[in-house]
Amino acid sequence: MTTLDHAGPGRPARGPSRWVALGWQLLGLVLILGVWWLLTDVLKLYPPYVFPGPKAVWTEISYGLWGSGPQDGKLLSAIGGSLRRMLTGYLIAVALGVLVGLLMGAWRPLRTTLGAYLTGIQSVPSIAFVPFAILFFGLNERAALAVVILEGFIPMALAVSGALLNVPPALRVAGRTLGANSLGLTLRVLLPASLPNILTGLRTAWSFAWRALVGGELLIGGVASLGEQLEVGRNTANVALVLATIIIIGLIGGLFDALLRTFEGRVRRDYGLEVPQ
Amino acid sequence: MTRLALTLALALALPSLASAQEAQSVRLGFFPNLTHAPALVGLERGTFQKALGKVKLEPKEFVSGTTLTEAFAAGQIDIAYIGPGPAINAIGRGMPVQIIAGASEAGAVLVARKDSAIKSYKDLAGKTVAVPTLGNTQDISLRHILNENGLKPKTDGGSVTITPVAPADVIAAFAAKRVEATLVPEPWGAVLEAQGHRIIGTEKTVWRGGNYPTTIVIVNARFAQANPALVTAFLKAHTDAVAFINKSPAAAQAAVNKQLLALTGAKIDPRVLQRAFARTRFTTALDPAALKEYAALNVEAGYARSAPDLTPFLRK
Repeated sequence: MTTLDHAGPGRPARGPSRWVALGWQLLGLVLILGVWWLLTDVLKLYPPYVFPGPKAVWTEISYGLWGSGPQDGKLLSAIGGSLRRMLTGYLIAVALGVLVGLLMGAWRPLRTTLGAYLTGIQSVPSIAFVPFAILFFGLNERAALAVVILEGFIPMALAVSGALLNVPPALRVAGRTLGANSLGLTLRVLLPASLPNILTGLRTAWSFAWRALVGGELLIGGVASLGEQLEVGRNTANVALVLATIIIIGLIGGLFDALLRTFEGRVRRDYGLEVPQ
Repeated sequence: MTRLALTLALALALPSLASAQEAQSVRLGFFPNLTHAPALVGLERGTFQKALGKVKLEPKEFVSGTTLTEAFAAGQIDIAYIGPGPAINAIGRGMPVQIIAGASEAGAVLVARKDSAIKSYKDLAGKTVAVPTLGNTQDISLRHILNENGLKPKTDGGSVTITPVAPADVIAAFAAKRVEATLVPEPWGAVLEAQGHRIIGTEKTVWRGGNYPTTIVIVNARFAQANPALVTAFLKAHTDAVAFINKSPAAAQAAVNKQLLALTGAKIDPRVLQRAFARTRFTTALDPAALKEYAALNVEAGYARSAPDLTPFLRK
């Protein structure tokens, strides 16, 4: 039985089509690796200190993740450090974002002032805040954390306030009619009703914060982090380590995005927002 | 056997073939530090340009070995004054590097902030120490000092935070209490000392009793092969600059200060510069043993998995 049998038009062939997608993705990966290998290791179009081949990068990944020498395993501890920093910053950013978003959603003057400023600040690349954060907090993790919180908080606050505005007025009226006070209305009607949009905000906040984290770590240094691995790779002319770190940053970013996306998809389905095609 | 003969013949013929189209310019990389004084003095006194004749000298200033190495890898630099750390890394990664001369030895000191409690190397435990860049010559020295004193960087599970701060920015970092100590090349050590900060590691206690290279001269191997006459001319000028520094230190200091002012916009008190000079030795000699030990320290610091054999990369 082939997967094609089930993937007819108008039928949500969820199971098999997912496998087909995965198959294509794997094929794409093999293709990319093949072209990369051909350009570097076979044709040697670039010297290895400019663009190393997949083998050299794989060596860095394997030493960095499960090597057992005295200086090995640095990528692993870097991932640990970055994830710990990221989760702390992200949780604080989300909590702050929900709080400020709720206030903005509830009170128009705040929305028109702060909301506009936040949109403006969001357009500033996160790396631009790092020097200021270093002056404020010192050359340490707190500076990186501050940038992560700032970058995660803004999309979260904007998503929550936007989500609240998009709740159908009928629900608001119904809630009021049934006797809900402001707090009750917010907690039991508005928030649940805007959950799908808030989840999109969670995902945006994650990707903003993740990028901000790596940028911040790059400038701060001194602690085990993916940013520091990038810097060390650059400073020691180890381009293979730079590429290995980039791949890991992308993988972790993509993995968490997929996780949040799955969660978001499930909620959207429960809310009846996903229409089978 | 015939193949070997053919290769040899080709190798011998290549330089003469290439010299038919010698370079129109020599792109020289260096840092605005006292440890690069032969470059600064040679530029200020026009020594290099005179030696190169019609070929134009294009000096390019860098702030760290990292950016210099990147420019070198991209083929934008022909000859460079650089620390042994980045040079050894470049060799280890297969870049076409040839080490052609020494430039300066010693000239790096460990300075503690005046209001910190740091009196000795052991007191660095739990502190934040700045180095010019991660993986550079001073960073590798610092990691060795920590190792010798039973300390470890935070990234290796120890307590010392090693953070990259450009030497010129350390003054501000000290003022803002962002770092407690720093291992810097001169003149920055003397500048910090003049502001009341304490030297806790002199150029002699940093490593090997002060007998270590701080700056060496490298050349792009392909450039050297195509332009042997230019490299020889440059080396002659470099030797002249080093001889001038050793013969007329006062005039050399004035020349260095003029270049530093032009490059960094900061003038250094002549007395401070004199002190920095006293802690730096200028020589064209290369100590292969010191370089070899340096490559081993690079491995110890975790910046390379093996030390490259440097012998083929040293100019005989």
